[in-house]
Amino acid sequence: MTEIEIRPVLEYFPGMAETVEPVVRPDIEKEKQTDAQNELEPGYLVICWDDPVNLMDYVTHVFRVVFGWPKPKAEFHMLQVHNQGKSVLTRESMERAEHYVHQLQSYSLHATMERDA
Amino acid sequence: MKLIQQNGESYHFHISKREKGLLFEVLKLYPLIPIAHHRVSRTTAAPAMESQKLLEGALADSTQENKRQLLAMLKRETRLQESDGAHRLTLSAPQMEWLLQVLNDIRVGSWLILGEPDEKKGKPIELNDENARYYAAMEFCGLFQMTLLDAFQQSG
Repeated sequence: MTEIEIRPVLEYFPGMAETVEPVVRPDIEKEKQTDAQNELEPGYLVICWDDPVNLMDYVTHVFRVVFGWPKPKAEFHMLQVHNQGKSVLTRESMERAEHYVHQLQSYSLHATMERDA
Repeated sequence: MKLIQQNGESYHFHISKREKGLLFEVLKLYPLIPIAHHRVSRTTAAPAMESQKLLEGALADSTQENKRQLLAMLKRETRLQESDGAHRLTLSAPQMEWLLQVLNDIRVGSWLILGEPDEKKGKPIELNDENARYYAAMEFCGLFQMTLLDAFQQSG
């Protein structure tokens, strides 16, 4: 595996516009509304986990394709996965996080989405 | 197998007869990763369970589509032109992307069949007559993947 030059990478987490459901009934409906809101808020982390089988260059390539990242940022996250066992790739709404996990897993990467505590 | 020319969206590879035979034999193993292997989350919360169903449905659809394309490719070898005892394989960028996914499914699936060996954790590969072909498949897929990734790299 060839050595890769690492440069500082500016991280960013684009947010999603929030939508609010109309309140129909107090109590029960209020709780449902909170759940629905949580699904739309950017409260889900997309995490890629280390494994010994995926090639480092392949992981970098997949990050570039799925997130449209420049090579240095993709390499930064690939090395974080390799050296630290995981990397938080982005923080998104539930729907967007699902989309990214589907994309990453279609490339057979070990990726999950977790609620940001 | 190596990249010999790139014209716009088309990538032309030189592939020997032996490599072509290996590639086609390895591709016949697809798909190897069980759909249930993919977990959407490490938690078991209700939203995660719903997401898990969605994920499995989406992956089943994409696997089926990949399988369809793969069968078409294996049946119709017009993408391969024979010359001087070797072949010229022409692929578009989306086809290379698709082939990368298929090869990695076979690579990761072979690794799962081999018992998820991990040298760093002191879990070496234990080869026997039954699993040796998956070790070979894992290594061949890695080689073909590197060729495709190098081609992407060369084209910027």
